[in-house]
Amino acid sequence: MAGEVRAGERRQRRGEDPERQFQWVVPKKRKASVYEDLTLDTQPSVHRFMRNGWYCSFPDGRGTWDDASTELAVATWSAFRDPNELWERPYYQQGAQCEKEIDAAVEGARAEGLNAGMPDAWVEFLRRDGQVTAFVEHGIWSIATRRSRAALSDVLTHGIVLYAAMKQRQAQAHVIHGMDLDQDLGDVTIEAAKERWLQAEAWQPTRRLVERMGTITDWAELIVVSGLVVEPLLGAGLRRELLLRPALANADPVTPVIARNAQREWAWWRDFSQAFTEFVLTDEEHGAANRDIVERWLASWEPEARAAVDALEPVFSTAPRADFAAGREAVVIDQEALKAACGLSTEVPA
Amino acid sequence: MATQQTRRRSVTQTHERVAQLGWKRSYHEPVPIYDTRYVFPDKAKDPMKQVMRDYLPMQLEKDERVYGGFDAALRAGMPTKADERWLQIMKPLILILVYAEGAAGRCMSVVMDVVPNEELLNGYHVQFVDEVRHIGMQMNLARWYAKNTPDPAGWHKGQEYMAENLFTRAGVNMFSHSFTGDPIAAGFTMMTVIETAFTNVAFVALPDVATRNGDFIQATTYSSVQSDEARHISNGYATMLTVLQEPENIPLIQHDLQQAWWIVHAFVDPFVGTIMEYFSTDRSDEESYLTKWDRWIRDDWYRSYVEQLGKMGVDIPPAMFERARERLVAGLHHKTAPLAFATWPLAFWKFDPLTQTDFEWFERQYPGWYDEYGATWEAYAALADPEENALLLSGLLDGAPPFCFTCMLACVLDDDMCHRTCQDRHGVERTRFYCSPECKWLDETNPGRYTGDRNYFDKHHGKALSEVIVELGLLRADGKTLVGQPHLRTDRMWTLDDIRAADLQITSPNITTAEAMGLPCGSWHDEGDPFGAVQGDGNGFQPVTLYGGGGGTNGDGRNGYSLDDLAAAAVGSTPWVKL
Ligand SMILES: [Fe+2]
Ligand SMILES: [Fe+2]
Ligand SMILES: [Zn+2]
Repeated sequence: MAGEVRAGERRQRRGEDPERQFQWVVPKKRKASVYEDLTLDTQPSVHRFMRNGWYCSFPDGRGTWDDASTELAVATWSAFRDPNELWERPYYQQGAQCEKEIDAAVEGARAEGLNAGMPDAWVEFLRRDGQVTAFVEHGIWSIATRRSRAALSDVLTHGIVLYAAMKQRQAQAHVIHGMDLDQDLGDVTIEAAKERWLQAEAWQPTRRLVERMGTITDWAELIVVSGLVVEPLLGAGLRRELLLRPALANADPVTPVIARNAQREWAWWRDFSQAFTEFVLTDEEHGAANRDIVERWLASWEPEARAAVDALEPVFSTAPRADFAAGREAVVIDQEALKAACGLSTEVPA
Repeated sequence: MATQQTRRRSVTQTHERVAQLGWKRSYHEPVPIYDTRYVFPDKAKDPMKQVMRDYLPMQLEKDERVYGGFDAALRAGMPTKADERWLQIMKPLILILVYAEGAAGRCMSVVMDVVPNEELLNGYHVQFVDEVRHIGMQMNLARWYAKNTPDPAGWHKGQEYMAENLFTRAGVNMFSHSFTGDPIAAGFTMMTVIETAFTNVAFVALPDVATRNGDFIQATTYSSVQSDEARHISNGYATMLTVLQEPENIPLIQHDLQQAWWIVHAFVDPFVGTIMEYFSTDRSDEESYLTKWDRWIRDDWYRSYVEQLGKMGVDIPPAMFERARERLVAGLHHKTAPLAFATWPLAFWKFDPLTQTDFEWFERQYPGWYDEYGATWEAYAALADPEENALLLSGLLDGAPPFCFTCMLACVLDDDMCHRTCQDRHGVERTRFYCSPECKWLDETNPGRYTGDRNYFDKHHGKALSEVIVELGLLRADGKTLVGQPHLRTDRMWTLDDIRAADLQITSPNITTAEAMGLPCGSWHDEGDPFGAVQGDGNGFQPVTLYGGGGGTNGDGRNGYSLDDLAAAAVGSTPWVKL
């Protein structure tokens, strides 16, 4: 807490009624935002106002929250902010908007008979692999939601929870799309997609990677690995390069809407993860040590994520108008740019 | 704007397809960071299902109604029309409920970490998202009160005050039970007890009191919260039915459900009972807290839920439940309320002295009430003016009961109060007091759970009251008038000088009671600990010796109890307390 500018003092100078302000909120900008007022310190901390320590601990000695829940350390976790200031109301507005757009696309496609315009080969691709990405999103959801509780501030926990919620929405959107296609075109089942996910050779490195994410015990590692490695390489590779671009080229009326909405949500998480990484790397006292840890995480996950993308070439090759080489290059460039923006070396670990 | 076509999507079929998203791992098994003693059957019971396509617009619509309500309330002039006595108590109430919402959300995360059954996971997760919604709405309510109601003082440092307040910190303690320790026990605490039994009281009965006192925006907000609770209750029920399938879980369920019930009762009944009855100006409701309790808790929860579990092999002795009711009848909240009022200088809200109308209402609901408590309330009213130069707390603190080590509220029922002594990490013998044998049982069977500097007055023992007020920052913007006041007037407000003039030295009832009883030291405050705690936590935890064992079996002073030991202690070797 030391060194933080007290919001109340600042406001008093500006002549506002100090008793009508949440003075515990330390605003990032001149004035506290609604997001800050509604979010900050809703998760209390012994590093903030709980001067008597935790009242309730685990039998193994961990407190209600535990500083050792992450390897990273910073002066104060409560100083971190989501750059896009997402809280519940805009979350529901945006999430509902996504679903509305998808439903409208389905409706439009049916009313105008647009599904008939898709080439057979693209329909075949949708039958075979169109829903498989749902398992990727769902798998990430299942670990994100489990790691949300341990995070060391309200902003962090809410961010991880909402990220998980987006993953689940994305996964379900694919499944519901499959149902709609099944109704319109026939023979689109989730069982077939699951079979591909569990058996098809090309998908196995991806599945192994997603399953490995389930072993992450450090919530900060989850943010870094999902935000800087898995999402930019694999997530964007699937959503944009496998689904969005080819679907547009194949006159698919619904898939692009699904993929574009998911990409919009990814953009939020990308900003969040980037801000988080910059936050830990620039910590005055712990920044250098944090950099070592973050780089170790990247080194440990990047090769596997790249290999997963590489293994998907056969899937891309059966998707008409998909360009594996170009897509792969695009996601690699984007990920490197993201790492550079975080202040990380873009060197590819061996 | 769903169309004919999209609306025709079969709900059952959607759920069947979405349920296929889980798969059995082949390359890596998930690694949990929390431990449970429970085992899980292959097939779980399905809770109420929720798919994001329906969930998101549904919640958005509810949000729009709530947030729209705030503008309407402003236009209707609600801030000045709502009853002031009621508006004051919203300060601690909303903030502790925000903590409860956070606890409920985090409960989902710990439960998901150990429950392997895919069928249950989505419901848990959706609940966490709901709880994020509840936090946003309620903080928005707090913000609205702060911006618009006549006396915002207290809101301005609300979260700081909440963490240190005598009563809300006990709430932090209680709600923390729902996301620390064994996740399934935590899940019972939140879903089976707090949500299934008590949300009707907190989110239905309390908003009714709000409306009667002219505060319909509180009611709008909490009704919207409550509309999500059916799904949360369903999560709890599905969890219960799932673990019930494995016979070896039965003793654990019996044990954990009783403990969950007790800790929730120990905080919620005195806290909410006091708020509902002592902070309502409107006296048109002839139903007492006890009557509501009988309806919501006894009939709707205990009789139609807990007793029914008996048919499925879970045998919960009625003692726990009956005991809680007996304590209410014996005056649990009537004896807690005067203490709350007497500690007004340490509060972050104002208190309104009871009036003749209040006395009559209490007498109608609880015959004999005036004879027992009337004099205290007359004295309270008489001392509300700083001119009197006296604090009710002066007289009260000397004979005040100690605070319970487990639930952190005062041991107000003489017959229930008990204690034990145990060694701290330096081998010093100290006394822990408990409000009840049940709270003692909770502490004994959960070594290492109750940490921190727990007895409110220990660290202030020997200090002047004025000093403590300054230390806790309980002053208004002028730097001299107290945030807490014993009356609602805007004149004759107490200042720090008035408190100094009244010259009160704080004594900890835990310390003085132990002395009076010839027991080892009653203080659990340690000057040398960064958090003032004899029994630290988290980073550098040192266990207290229990069951006559040594001080930590790992050689590093850390607790060496295995989960098996704890489970054995829980169900076998430590018998259910004799009453
Ligand atoms: Fe809630
Ligand atoms: Fe809930
Ligand atoms: Zn107690």
